[in-house]
Order: sequence, then C-alpha cells, then structure tokens
Amino acid sequence: MTLFQRGQLQRVRLHVLPTKRFKTFAISLFAGVPLNEDTVTPIALIPFVLRRGTARTPETIAFREKLDDMYGAGFGFDVYKRGDSQIVQFRMDVINDQFVSSEQSLLAASLQFLGDALTDPLIEGGGFRAKYVEAEKATLRKRLEAIVNDKIRYAAERCLEEMCAGEPYRLHPLGKLDGIDGITPDALLRHYEDWLERAALDLYVVGDTSLEEVTKLVGDAFKLKTGTPARYSVPNVKQDVQDVKYVLDELDVSQGKLNMGLRTGIGYDDTLYPAALMYNGILGGYPHSKLFINVREKESLAYYAASRLDGHKGICTIQSGIEFNNYEKAVAIIKQQLESMARGELSELEINQTKAMISGHLRELQDSAYEMLSYDFNSVLTGNERTSAELLEQVQGVTADDIVEVAKRVQLDTVYFLRDRKEA
Amino acid sequence: METLNYPNVQEKLYREVLDNGLEVIVLPKEGFQKTYATFSTKYGSVDNRFSVGGQEPTRVPDGIAHFLEHKMFEEPEGDIFAVFASQGASANAYTTFDRTVYLFSATEQVHANLETLINFVQKPYFTDTNVDKEKGIIEQEINMYKDNADWRVYFGLIDALYHNHPVHIDIAGTVESIYKIDKETLYRCYETFYHPSNMLLFVVGGVDAKDIFDLVKANQQAKSFEPQGKIERYFDEEPAHVKIPRKVAQLSVSLPKCMLGFKEKKVGLTGEALLRQEVTTKLMLETLIGPSSKLYQSLYEQNLISDSFGHEYNSSTDYAFSVVGGDTPDPDALIEALRTGITAAVNQGIEQSAFERSKRKKIGSYLRMLNSPESIAGEFTRYRFRDADMFDVLGFYEACTLEEVNQRLREHFDFGQLAVSIVEKPQAKA
Repeated sequence: MTLFQRGQLQRVRLHVLPTKRFKTFAISLFAGVPLNEDTVTPIALIPFVLRRGTARTPETIAFREKLDDMYGAGFGFDVYKRGDSQIVQFRMDVINDQFVSSEQSLLAASLQFLGDALTDPLIEGGGFRAKYVEAEKATLRKRLEAIVNDKIRYAAERCLEEMCAGEPYRLHPLGKLDGIDGITPDALLRHYEDWLERAALDLYVVGDTSLEEVTKLVGDAFKLKTGTPARYSVPNVKQDVQDVKYVLDELDVSQGKLNMGLRTGIGYDDTLYPAALMYNGILGGYPHSKLFINVREKESLAYYAASRLDGHKGICTIQSGIEFNNYEKAVAIIKQQLESMARGELSELEINQTKAMISGHLRELQDSAYEMLSYDFNSVLTGNERTSAELLEQVQGVTADDIVEVAKRVQLDTVYFLRDRKEA
Repeated sequence: METLNYPNVQEKLYREVLDNGLEVIVLPKEGFQKTYATFSTKYGSVDNRFSVGGQEPTRVPDGIAHFLEHKMFEEPEGDIFAVFASQGASANAYTTFDRTVYLFSATEQVHANLETLINFVQKPYFTDTNVDKEKGIIEQEINMYKDNADWRVYFGLIDALYHNHPVHIDIAGTVESIYKIDKETLYRCYETFYHPSNMLLFVVGGVDAKDIFDLVKANQQAKSFEPQGKIERYFDEEPAHVKIPRKVAQLSVSLPKCMLGFKEKKVGLTGEALLRQEVTTKLMLETLIGPSSKLYQSLYEQNLISDSFGHEYNSSTDYAFSVVGGDTPDPDALIEALRTGITAAVNQGIEQSAFERSKRKKIGSYLRMLNSPESIAGEFTRYRFRDADMFDVLGFYEACTLEEVNQRLREHFDFGQLAVSIVEKPQAKA
C-alpha cells in the first residue's frame, strides 16, 4: 500500500501521496480551530469571502475564469465540525496535464490559486472588500436559514443541538444567525489574521507528484508566516447521562422525523473504537442491520431507519422517517434493539456480515483520492496514526464480548421528534 | 469478445452480446481495489404502456417499475442484502425515467457477488403478502419526498412542462397508484422488461476481463430464456406547448425555490444526434449562466440567486427540456432578470473567449468523472440505452463550435416554451 509522505513548511503540515491511479490531482487544505461561540460565525464567513477574489485577481469573474481556464479545476470549501473543532476544508481538483494540451503545469497553477486565496486575499483599506463581505454575509444568512428546508437534516441537527446543549458541539459549524449582522470588513480581517495564526493547517495532495515537488510549489505559492504547526485538542467524549431528554418540534411536514442521540463514551483514539464501529454497523449501518430489519422490513414503519457514528465525539445517532402516530411504537422498537445488544443478543452471522462490510469500505478508500486523504486526516485530528489497513485488522479482531462491552457503555441521551403542527 | 480502445482517455473496454441477447461490458481499472457492477434493464417509470411481440398493449399502474425494483431484493430464502453483506458487498438499486439499475460494490469475493447480482435479478419472487408489505414502506418513501423542497420544485416543473408524456409522473408513483399494484402485474412487467435482450451488465474495477466473461457466460448458459419479440412502448401524443406556465406549491422553506424549464418543441433525435444535441446544449448553458458567466455574477450581485443556482439539460428521444434556477428571495424578479439576460445573449451571441473557457471546463469535468467507477457505469449505461457511446462525449466537446452553440442558444430559448415551478412558504392564515 502507498503511504503518505510527510513534510512541513512553517505552520503547514504537508501530506503527499504519489500515485498514478487517478486522472487528476486532488488537493485539500484543512484549517481547524476549537469551536467557540464568539468566533464560530466570523470564521464560518471567512472562506465565503476568500472565494470572491484575491490581491492578484480581485474580481470574482476573473477569479472564476481562471478556474475554467485550468480545464475547469474544481475549487470549493466546506465548514464542518469534528470533535470539538470547527474545520474549514478547501478542496481543489485538477486534471493531470498529460490528458490535455496545457501550456502551464496545472498542479502548480492550482497550488498558486489556493495559496493566493488563503494567504494573499484582497484587502482594501483596513479590511476585506466591503461589497464582498456584505454579499457573503447575505449568503451565509441564507445558508443558515435554509437548514430548515431539508427536514431530515434539520431534525438531525436539532437533535444534536439539544443533546449537547452545554457543550461547544451544540454550535452549528456555520455559526449563528444573530452573529452575522455585526461583522464589519475590518473586524473580519482581524478574525482572519487571528484564525490563520491559530489554526492547525494541513495540506494534502494526492496524484502523480512528490513531496519534494509539492514542498517547492507551496513554498512559492503560499505567503506563510514563520512558526510551527498547531495541534488539535482532544474532544471530551465522556459525558454521563442523567435523564433521557425528550424533545418535540412542530413544523409543516408530511412525515415525522424521529432522531435519537446516544453517547458511546468511546473516542477515535480508544482501543474500543473498532468495536464501536461494529456496534454501529450491527445496529443501523446497513440494510442487514437491526434497525433496517426491525423498523422497516418487519413492521413496514419506515423507508429509512439507520444509525451513524461520530467517532471523534463519541456520539451515535439514529434517524428514521415515520408516520406521526407510529412514534411510540417506533421508539419502543428501537429501544428494544439497544437493549438486546446490551444483553448480548448478537448472531455470528450479523457480526460476520458487518465485519465484511466495514472491511470492504476500508479497502475501497484506496480507490478515491478524497476518501484516502479524509481518512488520513483522522490521524492528524487525534495525533495518532492508524492506517486503514491497521484499522481493518483491528475490526477483524473484534469479538462479540467487545461489542457487548460497547453496548453496555452506550447511553441513550436524547429522543427528538419532528412532527406536523397540531390544529389549534 | 471485442476490445474497444480509447487512447485519448487511456481506457480499454471489452464488450460482447451473449446468445440470449445480454450485453456485457467490462472496463478493467488497474490498481483499483474495488469492483463495481451494474445490472440494468431498459425499463423505467415512463414505460407504463407497452406490448411485446405484437400482443395487445397493457397499461400498468404508475410507480410499478420502482415497486418492482424494491421487490426484487426479496427471495424465498430471505433478503438478498444479507447475502451481499456476508460477501462484504454494498448492494443497492435505483429507478429513473428510463432504466432500473441493480448494483454492488465489493473488494472481495467479486465472483460470488457477481453471481449473486445476476441471479437475484433473474429470479423474481412475488407473493400477495410480500407485495402488500412493501406498500407501507414505499408510502413512507413517497411521504419523505413530499417533505423535500428541492424534489418538489423539480418534479413540479416537469409536471408543468408535460401534458401526456409519463415523464411528468413521479417515479415512485402516488400512494393511490401503488396500492393498485398486485403480484400478477409485477410478473407481467418483469417478464417483459427483464429479458436478457433488454439488459446490460457493466463491470468496472480491478478485474480481469476474460475471467468476468467466462463467469457470466457460464451463468447464462445454465439458464434458459425463451426468445422474446420486440418491446413496443406507447405514449400519447405530446403537444409542443407547456401544460401549465406557472405552478406553485407550498412548503415551509426559508426562501422560495424557483425553476424555469424550457421545453424543446422538436424531439425525436436518437443515438449520436441526440448525444451531440446534449453536449451542445450543456456547453451553451454553461457559457451563458455558469458560475463564471457575467449573467450569473450580475444575478448574484443583485441578490437574486445564491450558490444553489444551477442548470441542467435532460433529453431523450421523446422529451427534452432545460432546467435553470435555485433559491431566490423574489421569483418574479429572477424570472424577469433571466428573461432580459437570456434575450440579450440571444441577440448578441456568445463571446468566443467565454465559449473556449466553458469548453475547457466541460472537458475537465468529463475527465474527472472517469475517476469514478460509479459514474462511468451509470453514464455508460444511460448513453448505451440511447444507442450512444459515452466515450464519444469527449470528442464531441472538442469538436463543438461557437457557431453551433450560438445556433442552439437561439433555437432553445423560446419564451413561449417556458414553464416555471415555485415552492414557497405557505401564506400566513388570516
């Protein structure tokens, strides 16, 4: 298996995977800081403004035309949370020059583009260009207001918000609506400078290149201040549940959305993490899992009934779409599944099926440049390298007792239900 | 087994049509861990009236192709997902307007998984009980989509565009129509459309082509299929004009969603001509209203659109339309601004530099698509069922001229052919 080559340039850790398997170069830059109520909104706004123009190319049209000229290089960003960190991920992908007749090295051009966007932004007076800041404030506001449009996601976010009410994790990675108005172009520039100074920075490149080449290109393209890389803080995953919270929201919906939040107390670093993956897989990760079989196939209560594990925060969430009056029935069936796992009711078949599925996913990572680098980034987050091959081996070694151990630690924290508005 | 070479994208494909009519395509991808296989029938939601071998035409309930897709996963021994899981494969299926696709992806036991895929799709098992049980599940699937504003605005638009063509009917049908489905009708549809001569098997990934052909041939030779006559599909005549110029639905959304659809007056293209038209139209739309166009930037600066704004072109032999739109605070202002911008472009024509840039972008995104086995299998099958070759697309993009794009621009944007679909917040009750 090919491994990432590691380097460092001032505050940026470099991770390069040389491979000829793809027709593209995949580039990602992760910038992470602790989630914090006071900074979450301005930091979320930063990438929106950075993608409008740079000192070298101030106008948005020209900035985007550059991308089209590089054979439609992809450039995008995402803001999300992992553990207790708020992470901005910039992504670029560009064609390997050998497939097109390009006069410039597309890898060099892409890194120059990303370096400009991140480290050489357009500054006017003492701030970002006011027109861009105002337009992107409107865009961010729309994005936050739009969360309610996707009822499945809305219910999932609301469940986590209620569940983690006393923790930074309650915050949405895009920030808060009431935090947007007061951001001025000058204040945002100060936030940007502070963010770039504090953030843990990791740059990944996957494609037909080398660490040496990338180090040189990044050195030329990024305006980096001197310093050493920052580390991610380890999130708190141990949180005792006193009473189960029951939350009900009402909106105009045709179908009820039932979400449940569980605390596993097991982080990505924990030796029980592979068993937690197995627990989630058996519970609701797949069409052979307990939730799918019992909620959907046996009772026809739902089209989807699944669970998801956030390994960095030690939280497992369950989601299902049901008819309003089936709420009690569905909750009871799901609770039965949780209890049966804690009692050790696990068949050899479901353990083997789940191992086979997780192993397949871990092997498949190799076929996608982005999957590979996203997986590797987990190691950066925890400061502990575990390759997908090592995790695969650990999953294979999980015993029924390990899974029961996880099941016993799992605590139901929150039951959230989104239903229609009752007639007054 | 014939070998097809595509040196410009460094891909090699193996193809053969078996004695029973099944077309098999293998695309080995060196260095890939995963194998991805799709087994597809040229049968989708629009095929609701058909005949085979000159028999009387049959009309079937809406949503039956999708219902059939759900039911195929059940075998007398139980759920087929469990078998795939034991073999470490992720399996799934989906139904579109014109095809139903069964698929798996696996890194191990590729041969066993491929046998499982072929065998379960070639072995229907419908009973009154298992058909009834599925109705509750699909009812919840339909209700889930009802809450999805993006889906509502998109399918609302198609419904506004088409009077008679079944493309305007929801792929899953309605709660009412699926309750009319019974096992006899399912078997009739199955026997018509799941004959090997109406199907395509596509395997891509870290495989050896000969191994795969040996396996598939042995598998098919052990089964017998009666030769089948030609399948005829019947559609009522579709008027050239749109059905409803403006369709509005209410749902709790933060901002209205607004989509504009332009219905092609002339349809009937097939094969390469259809593919060329698709390429030219997509390139035209990208140049005119893609993210780096002047029109996009001006709409964004007027706060009429957001990042959700996009465009697409959907075409087949019997229907074709473009879709433009996204979230907007003011649907009427957006429609007017688009009308003004598009009319100006039609009069002035597209600039050479903008055209060249969009062409590069399209070529780049096509090449990027070839990194993904899922996209290759999906796109290849989609084009193949329209008698076209996905690997021709690159050449068509390269050959496309500014003149053709300008002609397409003038021909396509006829405001008499416009329908608008809007999803907005319910008005506060008085």
